[in-house]
Amino acid sequence: MIIELGYFAVITALMVSIAGILAPVIGLKTGNHGWIRAGRQAVTVNFILLSLGCGALIYSFLSRDFSVKYVVMNSNSRLPVFYTISALWGGHEGSLLFWAWILAAFAALAAWIHWKTHPAAMPYLLIIESSLTSGFLALIIFLSSPFERIFPAAAEGMDLNPLLQDPGMVFHPPFLYLGYVGFSIPFSFAMAALLSGRLGEEWIRATHRWTLFSWIMLTAGILMGAYWAYYELGWGGYWAWDPVENASFMPWLVGTAFLHSVMVQEKRKMFKVWNLFLIIVTFSLSLLGTFLVRSGILSSVHAFANDPGRGVYILIFMSVVLIFSFGTLVIRSNRLKDRIEMESMVSRESAFLFNNMFFLIATATVFLGTLYPLLVDTLYGTKVTVGAPYYNKVFLPIVLVILILMGIAPMIAWRKSSRDNIRKNFLIPAVVAVAGTVISAILGIRQVYPLAAAAIVYFVAATIITDMYKNSSYWASHSGTTLLKGFFKAWYHNQRRYGGLLTHVGVLVLILGIIGSSSYKLEKTLILKPGDEFTLGHYSYKFHGLQDVQGINWMGVEALFNVYKGNQFVAEMRPQKRFYSGGSQMPTTEAAIQPRHMGDLYLSMTDITQEGWITVMAFQNPLIHWIWYGGGIMGIGVILILFKRKRREL
Amino acid sequence: MIKSKKIGIGISILVIAGALGYLALGNFGENLIYFYTPSEVLSLSHDYYGKKVRVGGMVVDGSLKVVPNTLRINFKLTDGAETIPVAFEGVPPDLFKEGTGAVVEGYWDSGKVFHSNMIMAKHSEEYMPIEMKRAGVELPKKDLMKSLQR
Repeated sequence: MIIELGYFAVITALMVSIAGILAPVIGLKTGNHGWIRAGRQAVTVNFILLSLGCGALIYSFLSRDFSVKYVVMNSNSRLPVFYTISALWGGHEGSLLFWAWILAAFAALAAWIHWKTHPAAMPYLLIIESSLTSGFLALIIFLSSPFERIFPAAAEGMDLNPLLQDPGMVFHPPFLYLGYVGFSIPFSFAMAALLSGRLGEEWIRATHRWTLFSWIMLTAGILMGAYWAYYELGWGGYWAWDPVENASFMPWLVGTAFLHSVMVQEKRKMFKVWNLFLIIVTFSLSLLGTFLVRSGILSSVHAFANDPGRGVYILIFMSVVLIFSFGTLVIRSNRLKDRIEMESMVSRESAFLFNNMFFLIATATVFLGTLYPLLVDTLYGTKVTVGAPYYNKVFLPIVLVILILMGIAPMIAWRKSSRDNIRKNFLIPAVVAVAGTVISAILGIRQVYPLAAAAIVYFVAATIITDMYKNSSYWASHSGTTLLKGFFKAWYHNQRRYGGLLTHVGVLVLILGIIGSSSYKLEKTLILKPGDEFTLGHYSYKFHGLQDVQGINWMGVEALFNVYKGNQFVAEMRPQKRFYSGGSQMPTTEAAIQPRHMGDLYLSMTDITQEGWITVMAFQNPLIHWIWYGGGIMGIGVILILFKRKRREL
Repeated sequence: MIKSKKIGIGISILVIAGALGYLALGNFGENLIYFYTPSEVLSLSHDYYGKKVRVGGMVVDGSLKVVPNTLRINFKLTDGAETIPVAFEGVPPDLFKEGTGAVVEGYWDSGKVFHSNMIMAKHSEEYMPIEMKRAGVELPKKDLMKSLQR
């Protein structure tokens, strides 16, 4: 009964969202403000209705209603409550509903926040958001409903895929969706600017926080996915350039470009068309990301079983969004001439321009590798995959150049930078970079990429530190206090800038983690019987034997290892093999991970024979924690910008 | 003055984009890995010997032989029409067992045995080789639902 109510609420939501498109359109045509208010109410009602829909599904999960197909497919009676709730987005149908719910929530929130401050954009925003909602709801209702029943009811559910029964995987999709859907608000504002002809900087100022919020959510979502892959998949790595990963990486890349290029428009009123283009691409790639993962468009490579009807619907939906948004941009672009020319190649504008270019080339690289197999399959019926070496070879140089720009762009002057300005800002960092590189080389970093990365990291870090020092001492002498107080003053007066620089520090830490863990990784695969010992790096591992372990809904076997450095005992490690009691019968590998000097010792037991012999993959991943720490620092940086106090003078 | 600067920026963009485009496309071709069914592998010409490819099929029941105390596993992969022997060395994914679908990456060296050191693990349980999917996913799915209702 409850599930039918949920279904009914979602069907009603579709009708309400169609009304939510029409009402503001009529309002614009007639000039009657009441219609626009009705459009806002539609968005709010939609949020309530979709909350009911999601609530009904969660209720069915928690009450273990195995007459609902989606509940049967994604849970069983022994599944812990935590994972039973997160099963809402564990499968295709539910995750689409969840997406639509976030969309409705953001639309209602945006209408509430901007209703008074941006009245001219509102009707357009409502139209766009309601259109997107109705597009998703139609897909849910007609082609992938999570509310379907089976008759007769099943006695027991199958289980949530055991690999998804992990905290990392519980939070990974919601964060990605918050990012994807969050970009719909800047997108809607951009379309509002184009359609209403109010093409100033208004839409960019209005959506500044939305953009940052979406970007950091997407960043967090991607990193959580990487963290999950590292802990749960047991192959010692965290990123495999899998199409599913690429799908979330592409909107992140263009979103990052957008995040930076809007600053040029804010400060210099340039890049107008470019910014509109970037946000349209970002949101389109967000949609594409959702669909690629959740629809099985990539079926030719991944062969997730799927319904061809969905693919066709999604293709049409994407085409409508693309044709409408780019079409509007092209028609309106003649009104968008930048009146200001770039004055010099040596300026912040051009640094941002190159930043954008490299991000877009990186995106194109991923796009080509992800969608080429699809294209070839459709055209020729040939099945092909693009190997990870392609991405690694192309990405490393791009990343290094972007890092250099990250050091230059925040420090170089707008318009045209004088020689004096360049010397003042970059002489010390350049010296630091050279000295640091020489020292690193002496200390034993001899590979080309790690050394180049180290040089660049020294350079960028030095630019940030000298900048902070200069500003701190300026404020210290300005108000006659100590350097430390000056530092806080400088920060207080420039929170946006320093939040940004802190985010850059996070990126540096993250990149060091990536390069360190990939260049200096050690690995070994071995077969061991109880009592055997092996060494990897400076550590020796002794295998003592196997023992049984048990969880709420799984049985398992774990291997006992004692780890020594020299003769000194370091830690006990217990890699596990789990067998979940659901329908899947699929064993999972739980790696044992021992943090050690910012890196990890990592054991993954892949096989057990009847005589008690085991196959073990052993890894040593130096600096890998820096990836997660870097992400954390980026998060703090962005939060500082999001909560900066309003400037009085503006 | 302004014109020449514009040209300068334009040229430098073109040069950089060109260089990176070359980097991307140059690496693209050699990193393409083709996917075949066992039947297609058997009809491959000598040119493909030693080239890295992927083969997808079902692991034949009763064909799986683990060489004791090594990382070597031998098994047969079929697409229903043809069957090829696979010599695998390494760590198979958790999902790998007889009677299920698998994709192996490696070399069709001698034209007699497929040498592989990687078997694909996928996130989904619904994973199956493409050709079999075309034969109809709905069937196994229906069986599944039926077995649940019993």
